[in-house]
Amino acid sequence: MSEQKSELSAVTKELWVENRLGLHARPAMKINNLAQRYKADLVLEKDGLQINARDLLAILALDCPQGTRLVVKATGPEASEAVLSVCRLFARKFDEP
Amino acid sequence: MTEKNHYLQGIAASPGIVIGRAWVLSEMGEVKGSFRLLFTEEEQAAEVGRLQAAMDQAHEDLTRLCQEISAESPEHAHLIELHLLILKDQMLCEEPLRLIREERLNAEWALYRAFEKIKDLFRRIEDPYIRGRLADVESVYRRLVGNLTGKTATRLFDTQEPVIIVAHDLSPAETTQMANSKVVGFVTERGGKTSHTTIMAQALEIPAVVGLDNATWEIKPGDDVIIDGLLGRVILNPDRGILEKYRRRQVEFAAFKAEVAQFCTFLAYTLDHHPTRILANIELPEEVQLAIKSGADGVGLYRTEFLYLRQRQLPTEEELYRDYKKVVEAMVPRPVTIRTLDIGGDKFLSPLEYPQEMNPALGLRAIRFCLKEPGIFRIQLKAILRASAHGQVRIMFPLISSIKEVREGRRLLQEVKEELRREGHSFDPHLPVGAMIEVPAAVTLASLLAQEADFFSIGTNDLIQYALAIDRGNKQVAGLYQPLHPAVIRMIQQVVEAGRAAGIPVAVCGEMAGDPLYLAILLGLGVDELSMNHMSIPMVKRVIRLINYKEAQEMARQVLDMVTVDEINDFAVQEMSRRFPEIFRFGSALAGASLP
Repeated sequence: MSEQKSELSAVTKELWVENRLGLHARPAMKINNLAQRYKADLVLEKDGLQINARDLLAILALDCPQGTRLVVKATGPEASEAVLSVCRLFARKFDEP
Repeated sequence: MTEKNHYLQGIAASPGIVIGRAWVLSEMGEVKGSFRLLFTEEEQAAEVGRLQAAMDQAHEDLTRLCQEISAESPEHAHLIELHLLILKDQMLCEEPLRLIREERLNAEWALYRAFEKIKDLFRRIEDPYIRGRLADVESVYRRLVGNLTGKTATRLFDTQEPVIIVAHDLSPAETTQMANSKVVGFVTERGGKTSHTTIMAQALEIPAVVGLDNATWEIKPGDDVIIDGLLGRVILNPDRGILEKYRRRQVEFAAFKAEVAQFCTFLAYTLDHHPTRILANIELPEEVQLAIKSGADGVGLYRTEFLYLRQRQLPTEEELYRDYKKVVEAMVPRPVTIRTLDIGGDKFLSPLEYPQEMNPALGLRAIRFCLKEPGIFRIQLKAILRASAHGQVRIMFPLISSIKEVREGRRLLQEVKEELRREGHSFDPHLPVGAMIEVPAAVTLASLLAQEADFFSIGTNDLIQYALAIDRGNKQVAGLYQPLHPAVIRMIQQVVEAGRAAGIPVAVCGEMAGDPLYLAILLGLGVDELSMNHMSIPMVKRVIRLINYKEAQEMARQVLDMVTVDEINDFAVQEMSRRFPEIFRFGSALAGASLP
């Protein structure tokens, strides 16, 4: 039952890394901060590889230079808010060139 | 303890002389000795406690450090914030706890295993910039190990004795920490003249020697160490005589530096009132502040390859424009001379596919490459033109070997100007266009090129290489690389005369420009501008103020009559050290060259 519920509340969205330097330390820190703020479980997926957005080093190790396509997936409470925030962050290019 | 008076040679990264006790940052080998398996649950609980205490300590220290740095240099604070976040990371901090509980490893071993796993993960990252963050993980790891073994980095800063750090590598964050501490200098195995840690050391004025292979093996903890950041030399366990000699040198250098820095921000005139503009060579936008502090009258060579080399995508016009604008605005009202791309197709990380070349120095590079790839070139030209709206910009084309190349470059520039006009961007319509003189063909054609260019800049490094057919990287012939070769002197003279006849200024921007040994000769030959590493500027300005322009011209005339390199070298060394004994005690070394 609980699994079904979390399946129902899963929100996914496709994202592109647009800033010049890619997901280096600062953007990864920003994503990580967001993930800590929401109750939802936030997952980033690249080419089928999934990582927990609360794990800073995993975000770095996902190796996402400029132009990488990612899928963000949130499950649990506040899932859509969390995804929306992540999308905004990506759209702002992490406030970088 | 290492033997007495043991000399090691590295790369001079940041000038000055310091004396202190070696603190060798712990390497893996030292930690390995303390690996052991745990047998009881009590032991496990104790190890969990130790590890957590080490993490709490690290958290506390980093938080304090972060506050201190935010107050002093906020732009570096994010580096420490990153370390704080790494400290919370699951892989580095939860994995070792699991290893202690489930695999019965002690804290050091568990931490080591967790770090090795992260290292493996990072090794697979292709993007060099992101992969480089492993250095930050390593720094946090070392801090934790330090806390576990009791050799903490923070305790080190509390010592009353001056300490010299010896490490495999240091992150810029760690270098920042050294300011206002008992750390007086550092030695690293990695790094070069332009690495970020080197630039940071120069900014903080901490003497340093980098690129010293095996430093962490050769230098033992507790060794007495002298760092000679002028010559890139490290002396271990000096005897009393050497120690005293260096103490004297230290005092003399401090006085020299203070004296030299005194008037460095003013334009330098010779004794007989002849002005010479002294400019800086830069590569990273961050270097602008150092250049200004050193008294640069402008930027004489802004190398623009960096943005193209560090990422796989080609930089956009907007990205280039933003970087150029930053440099141009910081230098206002001083001029900034931007050199267009000086690399070959094989160097690109980008989608461009060019084969590796057999002989890249003679291959498709610089202006040749740009004219073959006008799409890429135009983007850079547009960015430079747009930056010219914010200050005084000059553009120069590297590796010019024919009139046609200058004309082609100018034609593209004209087209791009019209494009910008249509797009409504502002720019300097009279942007001066210079030709770099680096190929002997350009020297021969100098009087013709002078009709096509607004200024010349002689890149002596390449010119000497091409004129004497010497590859400096080749140890067999590197000794034949001679800036004072009669052929080189005559070439410079020929270019200056062509420039003078056409009424355009001539600059020199190779390493030769920053070495005071060559200063009087270059001045005497009639060079108008010299551009160099920012560190050489105060001293070069000082020497200019001591030179008589008439005498320099006379020296140049005498040199032009000499027929061998040795003759000219002896003459230059004799004349310069006779006239400026105080400068040449430190002078040439400061510029990164030593007297022959």
